[in-house]
Amino acid sequence: MYELRKVDKIFPGVQALKAVDLKANRGEIVGLVGENGAGKSTLMKVIYGAYQPDGGTVMIDGATVRFQNPRQAMDHGIGMVFQEQSLITNLTVMENIFLGYESQFVSLGVINWKAMAEAARKQLAKVKLDIDPATTTSRLSFAQRQLVELAKVLTLEERVEGDLVILLDEPTSVLAKEELDLLFELVRELTKRASFIFVSHRLDEVIELSDRIYVMKDGEVVDVMNKNDADIDAIQHKMVGRDVDKEYYRELKQKPYGDEVLVSFKDVSHEERYRGISFELHRGEVLCLVGAEGSGREAILRTVFGLEAPASGAVTIKGQEITRYNARASVDLGVGYVPRERKVEGIVAGMNVFENMTLSQMQNYSNGGVLRIGAEIGLARDWIERLSIKTPDVYKDCGGLSGGNQQKVVLAKWRSGGSDIILLDHPTRGLDIGAKEEVYEMVREMSDQGAAVILIADTLEEAIGLSHTILVLKDGKFQKRFDGKPGSKPTMYDLVHHMI
Amino acid sequence: MRFESVKPYLPWITLVILALSVGIANPAFLNPAGLIDLVADIVPLFLMALGMTFAIYIGGIDLSVQQLGNLVTVIATVYLAKFGIGVALICAIAGFVFGTISGFVTTRLYVPSFVSTLAMGFVALSGAKYLSGERALSMDATLRNESFGWMFGNIFGIPHELLIGGGLLFFAWFLQTRTTFGRALKAVGSGELAAVASGLNVDRIKILAFGISGTFAAIAGLMFSVKLSGGDANLANGFLLLAIVAVLVGGTPLTGGVGGVVNTLIGTLIVLVIRAAMVYLEINATQQQMVFGIVLIAAIAMTIDRSKLRGVVK
Repeated sequence: MYELRKVDKIFPGVQALKAVDLKANRGEIVGLVGENGAGKSTLMKVIYGAYQPDGGTVMIDGATVRFQNPRQAMDHGIGMVFQEQSLITNLTVMENIFLGYESQFVSLGVINWKAMAEAARKQLAKVKLDIDPATTTSRLSFAQRQLVELAKVLTLEERVEGDLVILLDEPTSVLAKEELDLLFELVRELTKRASFIFVSHRLDEVIELSDRIYVMKDGEVVDVMNKNDADIDAIQHKMVGRDVDKEYYRELKQKPYGDEVLVSFKDVSHEERYRGISFELHRGEVLCLVGAEGSGREAILRTVFGLEAPASGAVTIKGQEITRYNARASVDLGVGYVPRERKVEGIVAGMNVFENMTLSQMQNYSNGGVLRIGAEIGLARDWIERLSIKTPDVYKDCGGLSGGNQQKVVLAKWRSGGSDIILLDHPTRGLDIGAKEEVYEMVREMSDQGAAVILIADTLEEAIGLSHTILVLKDGKFQKRFDGKPGSKPTMYDLVHHMI
Repeated sequence: MRFESVKPYLPWITLVILALSVGIANPAFLNPAGLIDLVADIVPLFLMALGMTFAIYIGGIDLSVQQLGNLVTVIATVYLAKFGIGVALICAIAGFVFGTISGFVTTRLYVPSFVSTLAMGFVALSGAKYLSGERALSMDATLRNESFGWMFGNIFGIPHELLIGGGLLFFAWFLQTRTTFGRALKAVGSGELAAVASGLNVDRIKILAFGISGTFAAIAGLMFSVKLSGGDANLANGFLLLAIVAVLVGGTPLTGGVGGVVNTLIGTLIVLVIRAAMVYLEINATQQQMVFGIVLIAAIAMTIDRSKLRGVVK
């Protein structure tokens, strides 16, 4: 039996985990749900040994353990199946499966590949994957890779005595329905030897698979439900802290968009990321690109921002056909980019609030190359107030602000410079509920003021709730367009159906 | 008190402690007139380090500076007769061109700056050897004094070299802290990806940073050449290590983004004090390099921003 008692984890400025209790009985499947930023990933990292808890105890079969690194956790039977594919794609399947544990196949300093292949076949049989272990991993589909990851973790069965605890982090996000069923069946079979901790955003799946469900919010476990008592609404209520209604996404504030076309794509293809994409983005419109990882959404945003040139087709921004792709030209046309990696691409950590806000528009705050720092500070003070950014002053290093406030600084940077084509790549990733709502509010406000938004949403609900128009993409190709007028929005099922 | 909060003041503290220790052991060291001479003497090195600061501030490095200095001593000596004071411009342009080529190779051909500048350094070295015929050349004393005599001498007891060094420091400081270019340098050094995502022309900024580094190396070489009244392909040897030490000990880490030109002033003074201490302790020139090598490693280990490296060092 695996147990966490009153586990704390503290990062500078935030308590990521507050007295978390969690138990996984022998052969049990435990679900773990929560909004982004609720502390799920931190908790997972504590469990598989990547983080050391700052308080509380970790116990296996009643004995206290403490792991300095993931390898020690593995030696105690704890394995992690990663969401963001941890396999090294230019290695073969068997090399990946036994990465770091090759010594068992070594004699006289030479690896016995035959023995390794044999052993790998045995692991692959456990996950019912019939492939040659010498296949290069990059040739596998995402679903196959997911199973290889599971097979890799299952090598613990031979290595470790006693029970296993296997963490599954969003294993279903890239899987089609049949693959999903297969995975669930596998997991149920494997409970003979292992207990599972299953993290997913898809609440219906969590309910289907798990015996008990832990709900996290703001670093705490706010509820533990038994499978039979759980339903989606109840879980959502606990996750968010109140009922999630339409107003969460400010749908009542969604107004029809204008006629003026700000961005148009005509049959635009990228060398490898997307093909034959056409759409028009209008003043006041929120257009959402929906698709799985690798569907080409990010590349389309980066093309609009001038960072990735397409191979063919015509991209027009405000009536001007783009011939040379560079970010400066896009910025000058009024495009602003809010990247997914807020901490490394959104803000410059090490630079203060006003320096960050004027970074894209220094020409407006300088004379002949000499900065007008007073004017910069004036701008920053103005926008700190307008967006109620929580910062002690304009000199504060942006790296030290909370995620929500960093995101506001990034938005202020573009909005204050007059950008009216705003590209939002996962703008609410990792933000808490309150900060998310503020972002939604800002999106509505921007579109009210005539800006057009291209959005890659963090969740399908967010995509549906926020957008006027949804384009579904799959493998770089356009699948389906949905109009999302309030009251007649598509459902998640409609979208998923075209995504995979 | 945590180490991180003391870190920015560390170079100052080091300088004061070192200077006082040397002063206590050898009170003659703190004699103002002697001190001024010592400082004036190190101005060429300071200028080289000042330029190097720009390369390191954006997270790169410029290993070509010493060889550029060598090349410039030869250019200055060879062409002094023909161009007079105009040779200064030729030297500066040569430095700028070499620097921008390094920058271009780094940004457009994706060759890391430690390799591109090292390679350009060898190009400069062989240019210097060719131009000098591998001989030590010397300047005609009259011509030298006519064109560059103003570099040396005193006003109210302050050596001209110090004024030149001070003027260029002010220029570099202004560039770094008061201009859009300086702000862009900081953004590139602190968070290059965010700078790209803000629409900055990051490549151009980097190329220019290397151009500035090359130009300062050329000015340093010129001054050194005039000072010694000659040039040869090995004249500036020994500058590179000290220039890197000066920048890093001053508190501009290899990862870039923090520190800057004022830090390099402190770093250069620390180098000066260490050198004075070693002279006092009778450590000879060959062994001094060893000491500076160790100081360099210590300075890097203390200043580098490990969070930016993401655990990968090669």
